[in-house]
Amino acid sequence: MRAKGKRASGMERRRARWGWAFVLPSLAFFGLFSFYPIFNAFYTSLFKQKLLSLAPPEYIGLGNYTYLLHSPTFWNSVRATAIFTACTFVLLVGVSLLLAAFIVSRKRVQKTLQMVFFSPAVVSSVVAAAVWLLIFDPRGLGNQVVNGIMQTPGVDHKWLASATMLQLSTVLVYFWKYVGYFTIIFIAGLASIPATLHEAARIDGAGSWQSFWKVSFPLLKPTIVLVSVMAMIQCLRTFSTQYVFYQAGAPRGPIDVIAFGIYNTAIRDHQIGRASAMSVILFCIMLFLSWMQFRVSRSDDVSYL
Amino acid sequence: MKRMWLAFIAVVVVAGLMAIPAAGVQLVFWTHEDPNRTPLEERYVDEFEAMYPGVTIQRVAYPSGEMAQVVLTAFAAHQGPDIFNQEQSPEFPYIVNQRVAPVNPVALGYPSVQAIYDAYQTGTLDGATYEGNLYGLPLEFTNWCLFVNTKYFREVGLNPGTDYPKTWEEMVTVSQQLAMRNGDILTRRGFDFRYPYYLTFLLPMVEQLGGALLSEDGQTGIINDAAWLQVLNYFQQWGPNGLNLGSPTYTAARKEFNKDNNAIAMCESGLYQIDRIRTENPAFYASNEWMIIPFPVWENAVNNYASNTYAHYYMVNAESTSEKQEWAWKFIAFMLSHGEEYLLNCGLVQPTKTLMASEAYQSLPYAEIFAADIARAKSQPLNVANPQLEAALKVAIESVMLSGVTPEQALQTLRQTVNEILQD
Repeated sequence: MRAKGKRASGMERRRARWGWAFVLPSLAFFGLFSFYPIFNAFYTSLFKQKLLSLAPPEYIGLGNYTYLLHSPTFWNSVRATAIFTACTFVLLVGVSLLLAAFIVSRKRVQKTLQMVFFSPAVVSSVVAAAVWLLIFDPRGLGNQVVNGIMQTPGVDHKWLASATMLQLSTVLVYFWKYVGYFTIIFIAGLASIPATLHEAARIDGAGSWQSFWKVSFPLLKPTIVLVSVMAMIQCLRTFSTQYVFYQAGAPRGPIDVIAFGIYNTAIRDHQIGRASAMSVILFCIMLFLSWMQFRVSRSDDVSYL
Repeated sequence: MKRMWLAFIAVVVVAGLMAIPAAGVQLVFWTHEDPNRTPLEERYVDEFEAMYPGVTIQRVAYPSGEMAQVVLTAFAAHQGPDIFNQEQSPEFPYIVNQRVAPVNPVALGYPSVQAIYDAYQTGTLDGATYEGNLYGLPLEFTNWCLFVNTKYFREVGLNPGTDYPKTWEEMVTVSQQLAMRNGDILTRRGFDFRYPYYLTFLLPMVEQLGGALLSEDGQTGIINDAAWLQVLNYFQQWGPNGLNLGSPTYTAARKEFNKDNNAIAMCESGLYQIDRIRTENPAFYASNEWMIIPFPVWENAVNNYASNTYAHYYMVNAESTSEKQEWAWKFIAFMLSHGEEYLLNCGLVQPTKTLMASEAYQSLPYAEIFAADIARAKSQPLNVANPQLEAALKVAIESVMLSGVTPEQALQTLRQTVNEILQD
């Protein structure tokens, strides 16, 4: 053990050098493909620039940001993103936690259930959206199943036509795709809780629900924070489902989320400066909400040991 | 340690040698996927390379839906291919921004640019012409007529030879007879539009009534409210909240038509659709239970316009070296010298006067219907903001069909959006 403040020995310095040597390539890769595009987006957002134009970009300072903050289309995107995120986030975190608790309690079919719920997560978002398009076709399984359950034959629930149903459809697709992914993370979190704590709770007369709520749930806090942050970021950057649905004929307004707006501004309108400004705003929203989650969740760590 | 350094230096040298470009000209050629065209053009590449051993051509095909954004991204990074094609609407900004080279008539085998215009049908090169210069040659020139499944007509007691819709009003009546439903759900549509290609089929519907998307000087949007309101009312009635005859949210009509599975009786498409029926459903093709009819016209139309024409043009990257540009034009000329093969194998029309007068074109089923409609058609309008204008039309049509917006409100929003796009 080294005394505090004492300089590292020669051996420790040599080891640190090897550590840097192994980490540097990854850092360089991350810097090139993550940090550089982020700084480039900040820089580009200060210019009026068209993608195909050979003219030098025109510096306009915060002009793109001013335009966006006064743009009804942009605020519609913020609204669409907020609605989608709020609905999907609550469903994802809540249901995946309950699902994890259920799966952990089923010793015999645990692996099978994990595989069944996780498998949609390995399908690409575009493929998932394409499959659900067939289900949401007026003649598809969506109407058949709902009409069968509700005994309303021939009713078209307008999965892709009505604004509310369209938003629900995108939430459904996202939930279906990612609930298994977060369930696995919660299962790993639950597995890290020592079994002795549950045994002790059982000996003291606690039922299953009390054991979960008083023992497992508080100790799961770090996992819940991780899942919350990941789910929030995933929901805020949703794009593929909305894009595929729009290409298939769905109206744009209800599902014009910020990422989709960025795509249209850059690729359809060729306004790369304005699209970069939208990316920066989305990044700031993600940063703020993530910081809020960490701040709200910060409290004394629970430990029964 | 010394051996490690020697090995490292050897790897660097070999990698460096591999990076040295081979002698000769290397052309990169990007195009969209077409299962009928791919084997044809791969053969042309092999033949051209055999004729000119110093030239190698790398042909890459992308899905149609991704082509525009792939090419755009490449050009934005100054890494665009030497040769590419797109539809004239997304291609036009490349011309305006001088990202593509004017044609080289000598490399193309013509004495002058005027000789190229003389070799093609009048108006068919307009989509690649800008400020007096020509920037591409057509891979395919397209207009849409209506494909009809005659079997479904007879099922409901209609004579396909005489009872096919000649007006948009008749289209409603005929579609109502052909449609089959399970409650609200259309199990068979009589006809449905080719959403969301509104610049191709919707604009002519407005222009038939004397309306226009832009004023003559291109400074103002939405001309002749009465014409626009008639069209918007029509689509409101067509949609699920009106007579429920169709919707953008059903599977695309042209994709259902080939299956002959009682899902759709009529659709809009181009001459290439015939080849796709033959490839995808040979039994349906051979049954002759299909026919083609002209683009309908309103009963109160003031102009007899068919669907707008549009073309895909082969273009050359202006940032390629002069030598590459010259070879690119030579290769394009070589490919396009096989007009009959493109027509007979892929259903693609390259509108040279020679081909249009040839036995191969004249003997195609329903070629005269397409030719007659071309004669009364206008070219899709050229504007750098076409993608945004088409998106604005999409919002207008879908808001009246699906979202309960009145035609008057939709027209007001459309006018505002179009004028904002023009000002931007």
